[in-house]
Amino acid sequence: MPDGKTVRRRRAVLGGLVALSVALLTVFFGEAASGPLHGIQRGAQEVLAPIELGASRALKPVRDLVGWTGDTFRAKDENQRLRTELSRVRGELAHEQTERRDLRQLEGLARFSGDPAFPEGMRQLTARVIARSPQRWYSAVDIDKGTSDGVARDQPVITGDGLVGRVSSVTSGSARVTLITDSDSAVSAQVLPDGAKGVVKPRAGRFDDLLLDYIQDGDVREGATIVTSGSTHSKLESLFPRGIPIGRVRRADPAELEGYQQVHLQPFADLRRFDFVQVLSGAATSERAAVEEPGP
Amino acid sequence: MILSAGAIARVALLALLAAVLQVSGVGEIRVLGGNVDLVPLLVAGVALYAGSLPGAAAGFLVGLLLDLALGRILGASSLVLIAVGYGVGRFGELRDPAHGLIALPVGAAASAGYALGVAVVAYLLGVTPSPSFALVRELALSVVLNALLALPVFDLVRRVLGPALVTDPQRRARRRARREIARGTGPSGLRA
Repeated sequence: MPDGKTVRRRRAVLGGLVALSVALLTVFFGEAASGPLHGIQRGAQEVLAPIELGASRALKPVRDLVGWTGDTFRAKDENQRLRTELSRVRGELAHEQTERRDLRQLEGLARFSGDPAFPEGMRQLTARVIARSPQRWYSAVDIDKGTSDGVARDQPVITGDGLVGRVSSVTSGSARVTLITDSDSAVSAQVLPDGAKGVVKPRAGRFDDLLLDYIQDGDVREGATIVTSGSTHSKLESLFPRGIPIGRVRRADPAELEGYQQVHLQPFADLRRFDFVQVLSGAATSERAAVEEPGP
Repeated sequence: MILSAGAIARVALLALLAAVLQVSGVGEIRVLGGNVDLVPLLVAGVALYAGSLPGAAAGFLVGLLLDLALGRILGASSLVLIAVGYGVGRFGELRDPAHGLIALPVGAAASAGYALGVAVVAYLLGVTPSPSFALVRELALSVVLNALLALPVFDLVRRVLGPALVTDPQRRARRRARREIARGTGPSGLRA
């Protein structure tokens, strides 16, 4: 146990040190930059500067080593953080692009529905593509609407750009659409403005090249528009109403036209890239009546 | 603890070393987000092995050197480090800790106390603190880092100061008796 004298001495020294610190602080804080304490500080800095410089140089390798280690850990963390951020931003970008693409397609569908060429009297049902045929030779897509939504077999299917196919099979909640590029497809068509008729048939494995075959009555020029003819011939009734755009004549070789009665056309609809379609139902009576062909 | 002239000289040397090292780049070393601060560790080491008054004196000296070297307000660091040195010294005098890992809690407490004291003095001098989670996290990491660093620093202080310290014979006897009681080899009446 310390005696009273020791305790008093300890308290006195402590009090003295604290008082000295407070005095230094007060005087330093209050004096001008040219004051004596500031002068002492400047002098001390001048004296200590070479020592600090030497120590700093001696410590540099240690600092660099620790800094390098820290930077490595930080870089790893940052790398991980940036990867996570990149993944999130990629997801957001993909989502936004998908939304924009969907919007563009839906706008196209809405525009087409309001077009004067759109078959009057037909109801349209918008559906989303949920699956695509993985094979190049059998072109079909599945859509998310079925009999419960009013979809029936053989109904025409369009996008905002033009005809894409017809419903070939249907369940209560989904339907399969056979595209006009499928090898089984054939669409009776008409060349505008000349009125020559033919049948649009696919070229196996080609999504961007169709044939207008069996051309009757007329000359066909490159750039001419091909639409569905909507034939209601009693023996060969077309499944498609009249006036739906199919494509544009891309190549009309006179020799081919003469020998085989066929020209090449490019479909308006991008048959490899579409996410929304409209299934048409009902009868376009006015148009059909207008082009009804006489019976045999 | 009785301080000899040699011990005083060694304390002064350690104080100078700590201040110079701290301003020469040790303070810039960042490990896992925390900053190394030798100053409170050295003051705490001196205080733990030499007592409260040498601790307070070492705190005053290191603080003064630090303020001189860094061009800060003279007396500000001294005031805080006197408190750190005196507090750790009194803890050592009252509890007489002999555990090998005592440096860890003492180093952590000294670092935390120093950081808090500096903040309080800065506030009193008109610096408005802007506390944030990042700042608190950095302080916590620095305290942990300094606690680990306290092991070698305290060992260094003990090695430098030990030979120059004249230990109170009564205290030395008390410590020996306590060790013997713990081992069961002390006087029969004092065996645990």
